[in-house]
Amino acid sequence: MANIHDNPTRDEWMKKIAGLNSVANGHAFLTAFRAKHLSPFKTDFSLELDGQWIECKIEEKVALLKHAEFSDTQFLNNCTCGQDAQKVANAAVAKMDACTNMYEAERIHVDFRLACKPPIMPVNVFMDTDRLLGTKLMELRNTDYYALPLEELRKVRGVKVITLQ
Amino acid sequence: MAISSATKAATDALSVNRAPVSVGAQEVHKWMQSFTWDFDKNRTKYSTKYKMANDTKEQFKLIAKEYARMESVKDERQFGSLQDVLTRVDAANRVHPKWNESMKVISNFLEVGEYNAIAATGMLWDSASAPEQKNGYLGQVMDEIRHTNQCGYINYYFAKQGQDAAGHNDARRTRAIGPLWKGMKRVFSDGFISGDAVECSINLQLVGEACFTNPLIVAVTEWASANGDEMTPTVFLSIETDELRHMANGYQTIVSIANDEAASKYLNTDLNNAFWTQQKYFTPVLGMMFEYGSHFKVEPWVKTWNRWVYEDWGGIWIGRLGKYGVESPASLRDAKKDAYWAHHDLFLLAYALWPTGFFRVTLPTAEEAEWYEANYPGWYDMYGKVYEEWRSRGCEDPNSGFLPLQWFAENNHPIYIDRVSQVPFCPSYCKGASTLRVLEFNGKKHSFSDPWGERMWLSEPERYECQNIFEQYEGRELSEVIAEGHGVRSDGFTLISQPHTNKDGKLWTLDDIKKIGCVFADPLKAL
Repeated sequence: MANIHDNPTRDEWMKKIAGLNSVANGHAFLTAFRAKHLSPFKTDFSLELDGQWIECKIEEKVALLKHAEFSDTQFLNNCTCGQDAQKVANAAVAKMDACTNMYEAERIHVDFRLACKPPIMPVNVFMDTDRLLGTKLMELRNTDYYALPLEELRKVRGVKVITLQ
Repeated sequence: MAISSATKAATDALSVNRAPVSVGAQEVHKWMQSFTWDFDKNRTKYSTKYKMANDTKEQFKLIAKEYARMESVKDERQFGSLQDVLTRVDAANRVHPKWNESMKVISNFLEVGEYNAIAATGMLWDSASAPEQKNGYLGQVMDEIRHTNQCGYINYYFAKQGQDAAGHNDARRTRAIGPLWKGMKRVFSDGFISGDAVECSINLQLVGEACFTNPLIVAVTEWASANGDEMTPTVFLSIETDELRHMANGYQTIVSIANDEAASKYLNTDLNNAFWTQQKYFTPVLGMMFEYGSHFKVEPWVKTWNRWVYEDWGGIWIGRLGKYGVESPASLRDAKKDAYWAHHDLFLLAYALWPTGFFRVTLPTAEEAEWYEANYPGWYDMYGKVYEEWRSRGCEDPNSGFLPLQWFAENNHPIYIDRVSQVPFCPSYCKGASTLRVLEFNGKKHSFSDPWGERMWLSEPERYECQNIFEQYEGRELSEVIAEGHGVRSDGFTLISQPHTNKDGKLWTLDDIKKIGCVFADPLKAL
């Protein structure tokens, strides 16, 4: 019996994941999957129930491919696309440092996570960068928290009001 | 005989400055203040937006060795009472069955809170720079570890010695389907350990502990005693003696940031959000557990709430912090409105959703209905009549083919789940302040029950992506979902939860549910 833990959707994705055979195609597959199916800005809602489980399985596979292909030095210093991880991180932090708008800052942080969450970026670089970005985002979000009335806030966030009782 | 140069040096040093033969606690504490560990690079995952002063004091001045001595005495008394006297007098079987069920929820859920509080106070240790302040947090870390074990032990004790083990043991296996679990994780987990460490402290220490500890851990002992439960006061009062340290830590957290410029920018916002987060769940759930999970009543929940949340905390405790720029949360007024009816609204839904729980629920008796009406005028017309109808349709009997959930569908009263608090609500049949707000963002609909939560979501939508049971199980038949979510007893087919606590009453099985053909539907899809 198909259920929430064991169902044809997951089986189908497991077959696709089994076909990944290099860090390069694993990287492309994982980043495309995240952009399409995860985060509040996702464009496809077909994997609402299974998306995170599938993402986890892709990550497992990419981590194994990385282990097989990367040298120890690459493992600690390079993203799966080959770029220098610290340079990628520095660019994200610089962008955030220059940002004064909470919505732009939120997008920088979300995009960083979608693009770089391990195993794409080495954990040692990712975690510290995520902390720096998150800290700035929290400050921007909490400044003048009540400045806009809800009506205005809804407009700025770009939501559609379905019902208000 | 010649002595070594090292021994001579030590002997000479001692002749100048004799080692004390005993040391008072205050002397040790004074000595500890001179510790100058290198805290410069010390930080938690997200460095807090506040700067904590490095000369902050700590009121308890308790060193770890004294702490351990004191707590071991408390443990000996507590476990001694439980394992010896209370077991010999068969205390667990003297508990009123309704209260036995309340303790399945209270102690299992509090265990989660205590567990997360270990991490929360660990984060604060990482964030603080004052040695004394760190010492206070250290004491709390050890307390929370002890409390986690104590809460687990209560359920273990009830399961082993008491009247209905199912739900006391292994309650967590129902966490995917039980509608109370996700809200509990929001307050006890996410609120305590996610994000800024000081904001977590405000959730845990300033609101969770200073505000809701009295209504929760103290009041629960009164309700327990009134309903024949000797175990809970034995354990929970032992926990409560530590909570004072935690409230003091919360106070000192505020003192430590009071002079920081960031406090004027963020502190009252963080406090308001923390208060609303915590009260949105605790106000209805605690009231429901006390009043509907007991036979013998102590006092109306609204009175308990007014005394401890509104007057003691909102007035006196926050008032004392006024000199540091702390203001009573703006949402306190709205919370006060909820304290009167919200728990009645929630029980109506909890009873309707009973098959998804891990505890047995019971409809109010005629005697209890009189108490409700006397203390909450208007209760009968809104709730009492509905319970009478459900009872007359055989809601307790597995052969009746009736689940109260059907009543909501028949009468066109859809049940929604608030995206932020994860608390279920029925806007078309409630007396509390819930109002339906549905927003669509990037193609997905989200329901909210109040403006404070809506603002939290509009500010941080990625924080509240948790799916609710209607989204998760849409289109699935109820008995299948219960089986998949481990909501059955050890025989594999009798439900853990039941709509009564009558020991002679029939127990519902998966087959009884299956015959009804109840299918989950997401109410947001209909909008």
